[in-house]
Amino acid sequence: MSRGVILFAHNNRQVDYARMSILAARLAKKNLGVGASLITDPSTMDWMKESAVLDVASKTFEKIIITQRPSENNMKNYRDGRNRTPAPFSNGNRFSAYHHTPYDRTLLIDSDYLILSDRLNEYWDVDGDLMISSGYNDIIGAERTGYLDTHISETGIGMLWATTVMFSKTPRTEMFFGLVEHVKQNYRMFSDVFRFDPRLFRNDIAFSIAKHILDGYQPSDGYALPEVFSVNDGDELCDVTDGRLKFLLSRIGSPVLATVANRDVHVMNKFSIMRNYDKLMELAL
Amino acid sequence: MNEEFKKALDFANYRQTFAIQRKSLREKIDARLTYGHNGGIFKIDRNLLNFVEMLIARDRKNDVVLLDANDNPILVGDLVGFRDEIFDRYFTATNEYFEEYQKIKKARSVESLLEG
Repeated sequence: MSRGVILFAHNNRQVDYARMSILAARLAKKNLGVGASLITDPSTMDWMKESAVLDVASKTFEKIIITQRPSENNMKNYRDGRNRTPAPFSNGNRFSAYHHTPYDRTLLIDSDYLILSDRLNEYWDVDGDLMISSGYNDIIGAERTGYLDTHISETGIGMLWATTVMFSKTPRTEMFFGLVEHVKQNYRMFSDVFRFDPRLFRNDIAFSIAKHILDGYQPSDGYALPEVFSVNDGDELCDVTDGRLKFLLSRIGSPVLATVANRDVHVMNKFSIMRNYDKLMELAL
Repeated sequence: MNEEFKKALDFANYRQTFAIQRKSLREKIDARLTYGHNGGIFKIDRNLLNFVEMLIARDRKNDVVLLDANDNPILVGDLVGFRDEIFDRYFTATNEYFEEYQKIKKARSVESLLEG
């Protein structure tokens, strides 16, 4: 049975998701010992050729699958510490992972999820054909975790984090990804039913609703991936030394410093990943 | 700024970083104590270690059903091998926890906490 990691990369003018995916894939390959494939679009491919990273990408990924860029008008405020930059966010084709993945058992990760341990290797053989991360784990802790980090709305169901998803190709998972597509296409209708804010399409919400429905409208008692250990986009990755990622964390009062080493981390401030790109790439050697 | 007040603020910063580093360390060790076996996921803790050791002491060594972290029944063919694996993982993780915890406990400044 083949195993591997897949990532999506659809660049915009602010964030080079392709380069970030190369980093995430290399870290995953080093720490999990499996291959990785990329799902991208023609304009991102053109950019990779132009910026001379296609060669690195070809060496990193087992397969580069070219598909159409999602067409929705999804604008997002990308945060970089205190700064905010609006840019289009093309994330609406995550449901196609089922059809595009070349692997029998797939780990789907966000390109800002840095795998720095082998923890997820424990899950490849678990008897669950669909496992999504069970929740959000802020680096500081519960004091900075809001209700909307754990639920899709004030009155809605619990939130699963589509940052890490592991699945096998089965009729049930095919149905699941089909349902995610249906939720995406009828996002406003589902926002009325589940009372969430529909202005920005979020895979976390679509995956949570699809899973909730397929579990028979009740909380799942099945296997799940570990909570996503996260450093939010108001924080900054300031340095990488001796295998440690040093963060400046925003906090009421004064900011605080902390380091992370040898554990998987979701670095939501993409700009700070790019500022430390070369040092992070050294961790993948 | 009053010198005493500045010291108090510096100490507050140190305690904040200490709390985050300790939380992170505890969670890292917790992750090491997750063990996937025969389709199930086990949380290696003192309960599991004791229970498995007790079963072996009662000569139940082969084809034993254990409940995993999700309370699903998992068939363990070779319980002695399973015991050896979880003991090894438990002591590797707790020794690492001890060593790293000593480092952050001895650190007396934010800088040394970050290097620990």
